[in-house]
Amino acid sequence: MSIMSWASRGPGRRRDRSLVAVAQATDELPERSVLLSSALAVVSVITIWFLAQMLVLGGLEHERSQDRLYGDFRAELADGTAPTGGVVAPGRPVALMSVPSLGIQEVVVEGTSSGHLLGGPGHRRDTVLPGQAGVSVLYGRSTTFGRPFDAMLHDAVGRHLQVVTGQGRSTYRIERIRRPGDPVAAPPAEGQGRMTLVTSEGSGPLAALRPGRVVYVEASLQSKAFAPGGQRVNTIASSERPMAGDASVLPMLALTLGGLLVAVVGVVLARRRFGPLVTWTLAVPVVAALGWFAGDLALHLFPNVV
Amino acid sequence: MRARRLAVLALLGAVVASTVGSGGVVAANDDVGAFHQKRTVTREFVDGDERETVDRRTVTVDVDHTKNLRGRERVQVSWSGARPSAGRAVNPFGENGLDQEYPVVIMQCRGRDDASLPEAKRLRPETCWTSTVQQRSRGPVPDGSAIWRADAFATTRDGGPVSGVDALPKACGTAANGFSYRDTRFVSAKGKTFDACSEGTMPPEAAVDASFPPAEQAAFTGRDGKGQVSFEVRSRVENESLGCDQATPCSIVVIPIMGVSCKATDSRVLNGACRRKGQFAEGSSNYDGRGVDDAVSSRFWWSESNWRNRFSVPITFGPAPNVCDVLDTRAPVGFYGSELMSQATQQWAPAYCLRKDRFRFQHNVLPDNASFDLMQKDEIPGAFVSSLKKREGAAPTEYAPTAVTGFAISYVVDKPDNAGEETNLRLDARLLAKLLTQSYAGSALGRQHPGLEDNPLSLNQDPEFKALNPGLDDRSRESAAVLMNLSESSDVISAMTQYIATDREAAAFVAGKPDPWGMTINPSYRDIDLPRAEWPLLDTFRPKVEQQCLLANNDTPYLTRLAAPVTSFAKIADALIDAWPFAQTKCSGLGTDQFPFVLGRGDRQGVGSRLVLGVTTLGDAARFDLRTAALQTNELAPGKPFTSAAGRSFAAPDDASMAAAVGTAKPTRRGLPYTLDAGTLRTDKRAYPGTLVVYTAAKTSGLDRRTARTVGRFIRIATTENQRPGSGNGYLPQGYLPIRRTGATADLFRSAQQVASDVERQVGATATPGAGASGGAGASAPEAPADAPTDKAANGSTKATDDQLESLGATRSVTSVLGGWAVPLLVLLAIGCGLAAPVTRLLAARKALR
Repeated sequence: MSIMSWASRGPGRRRDRSLVAVAQATDELPERSVLLSSALAVVSVITIWFLAQMLVLGGLEHERSQDRLYGDFRAELADGTAPTGGVVAPGRPVALMSVPSLGIQEVVVEGTSSGHLLGGPGHRRDTVLPGQAGVSVLYGRSTTFGRPFDAMLHDAVGRHLQVVTGQGRSTYRIERIRRPGDPVAAPPAEGQGRMTLVTSEGSGPLAALRPGRVVYVEASLQSKAFAPGGQRVNTIASSERPMAGDASVLPMLALTLGGLLVAVVGVVLARRRFGPLVTWTLAVPVVAALGWFAGDLALHLFPNVV
Repeated sequence: MRARRLAVLALLGAVVASTVGSGGVVAANDDVGAFHQKRTVTREFVDGDERETVDRRTVTVDVDHTKNLRGRERVQVSWSGARPSAGRAVNPFGENGLDQEYPVVIMQCRGRDDASLPEAKRLRPETCWTSTVQQRSRGPVPDGSAIWRADAFATTRDGGPVSGVDALPKACGTAANGFSYRDTRFVSAKGKTFDACSEGTMPPEAAVDASFPPAEQAAFTGRDGKGQVSFEVRSRVENESLGCDQATPCSIVVIPIMGVSCKATDSRVLNGACRRKGQFAEGSSNYDGRGVDDAVSSRFWWSESNWRNRFSVPITFGPAPNVCDVLDTRAPVGFYGSELMSQATQQWAPAYCLRKDRFRFQHNVLPDNASFDLMQKDEIPGAFVSSLKKREGAAPTEYAPTAVTGFAISYVVDKPDNAGEETNLRLDARLLAKLLTQSYAGSALGRQHPGLEDNPLSLNQDPEFKALNPGLDDRSRESAAVLMNLSESSDVISAMTQYIATDREAAAFVAGKPDPWGMTINPSYRDIDLPRAEWPLLDTFRPKVEQQCLLANNDTPYLTRLAAPVTSFAKIADALIDAWPFAQTKCSGLGTDQFPFVLGRGDRQGVGSRLVLGVTTLGDAARFDLRTAALQTNELAPGKPFTSAAGRSFAAPDDASMAAAVGTAKPTRRGLPYTLDAGTLRTDKRAYPGTLVVYTAAKTSGLDRRTARTVGRFIRIATTENQRPGSGNGYLPQGYLPIRRTGATADLFRSAQQVASDVERQVGATATPGAGASGGAGASAPEAPADAPTDKAANGSTKATDDQLESLGATRSVTSVLGGWAVPLLVLLAIGCGLAAPVTRLLAARKALR
């Protein structure tokens, strides 16, 4: 009633009436149009979910992983079981890295595939551990999942970067950002250490949303280098190289999507039987969990340092 | 209103520009202080109340630069509108210039011509430097000849029998009746007064045979009223009594002599002498120093009627050479190497050491190769060299272009018949070869040398030289048989000998083929290997001599004695300023134990018949205003005798010819010197063949961080701030082509910045292209392989920062289309679908409604 009275006022009367008419006519629409419209709406919702997971929910996930990893790593450091070299199981925390002046603190895990980097920076497995003599390479995301390395590209040059590993504390100085075309530094001298942080950045318009190019941040070891311990992995999978996705999750993704389908069908059936209230109360956590999981897995296919 | 706003804006702009541009250095240091003044000078005869202006001239005086001068620097003084001189002396310097009529006296005085200054800081005749008593003081002079006493403008005191002083000092004798005395005393910078009326009472720098010849001169004005000379200024280092330095302002005083303005006195003789107007014709010469009319000579420059006609040109001196030692206690950072840099680094050093935020830069001159070795051994952070050097160790080294300069064949050559100096000398490679290979005999003694019997005695007798430089005398001189040259190794010698080696005429001559007139090379130098970094003394011929003195000193080969190379270009420049060849030809002594026969350096050449050539740096040549020869820029096959320079092109050193030379330089590899040799230089006829680029060579690995940063910083400052032309601290002096971001030197600039960052970051790029240098980082630890992101998903493409140079270890580009576009596409998709869903519904509903 109120709509009618509102709509009957003012100069835009004719249009307003048509809008109201549309609202009334919705029930009589052809089924095909309704289907198309609904499909579009669903695609939009899924995309927004995906984006939200990448840019917002991913941050939560990153925080949570860090919290958990910090706890694990702290215990390992206390026990003296933190890895000091050799082959380390992928996903295990290997170092605590921090830039105090920027308020950054990240636990670094072993491995650089897309999945490992969801929780925080990863250490490339075929390089020495941070703090050791030689070049240690860390990968980190710049745009998604808490964007741990974003700050490295802004205002980080000249600052000190501290690393705690099972061997002790080391200090690096962030020297420069190396972009494509810049000269590559010579290998460090005997007994010297360097760290290369690998991440991504964009260029051109919308640079912040288009991290399509790999950049390197060089830091030089200021403290005394530790001895590299044990034989490192001498080969890594292609999914652990910069800008690589991890296709190994595809079977898991297929299963999860199947599960999601089953859940949706279940919801439809349950609604007929139990009514909407009960159905949605029961179904929302299940669908959300499956959707989150599926989204995570889909993001494994994305480039690792983005 | 609008104008005011504009003015404010302009002022703001100027303030901003000066603060930005100066970078802490005193603003306007690039101003060289060109001087220009015009005024009317007169000579008047006064008789009671009658005042007759005998002569009136409007004279304009120009001085090309007056600021931040250094010791022995020469400035160009030119004038017009002056009364033409007469009775030209051969040598215008010191007392030799006194016997001329209507000259222009140019001298250096302490103080400024400023009435607002206290007496002690003002210039007056007592603070003006002269090298002899005759230029200052007179007496005893019979009253009838004491022209200054008839000066119409003289004070009563100066009109007396003893003038200039209250009472005649004891050292000057006692005043006698009927005689007049004038004593223009000299007051030193420390306040000591020299009576200056006899040789013994002159300041020490004025001693006979002082270390520096007189600089003050009575210059000659041509018939057109114009004249131009190079005037040498002396700093406290050369002349302590005069004492001009950075803190003590001085002036150049230019007095166009118009003649003494006379008043009527009781003495008819005196009146007549004072009113004389000269006995020589305008433009004539006075070779034998005959007496002139004193009233119109430079003798009485100090008399008020001449003194009031003066132009005083304020000059300032740059910081003393030891300013950094005195004011900066930090340990110096010593860059060693090429002397080509020394005029520039002399101006640069205070811009480093006087700033707390910089380091104390020091340049020590050492042969290029030796300094490169020191740098390789980590003894010094960087070396100034002009060519690619052989690397000793494994440490990679890069070369940053730091200055574009070169060498010059500088000369002092007088034209015959007192016609002034030759200013357009032209030389070709074969003439240089003849001089270097000691193929001119020098004198009858050299003629005894087998193979030189028929060769000309000296350069100016050579028909080839005469063809290129017509109109010079052909009197033989031992000094003109050789080129004053360096005894040390230097990239300059390499460049010069390469210029000879790549010239077909010169190469044929060196190989033993006589020149078209039949002159042959000195057999000792035939087929000498060229190019070479050090010029050897190969001749061992000792002539038969009869003179006792020479007999006692005949151990050294004759031509070697003539060549007498020295250890630095600065010494050659000094020798050229004084026209004082190094040739050891003066034999003196009595042969007794007390006075043995000794052979020493000959005398300074007399002005009017000078002919001496030497290799100098372009920086020295510009600083000391030395004349530089144009060198032949094309090459011809050896052929028939020629009588003119037709078919040959020459280039003298200047900014344009150096820029043309740099334009021919070819890049080699990233961080390595450009190819700039005689081969490339001959591709452009305008290119000056003596152009050289001086590089700062430094290691790109193994330097400690502090040193690496210092070297990088130096390269950056030296190629930006220090390339602004000017005379102040931190500016680039004349004789150097500024390296700029744009124009001919753009490549050098880019290369320098590249090397600076390579050195700073100690990238240590090795010269093996692409060897695992892409992507991340190699590691010393064997188990850490190079991080080479050769991702299949990435479309790796190698991009060099400098498209001219080979990419050696540039970071490879790794990109991902998915990473680059996923988020924007997803956002688009979300928005698109989100909008499309209601729109589809809306459209369908409207359809249904109809």
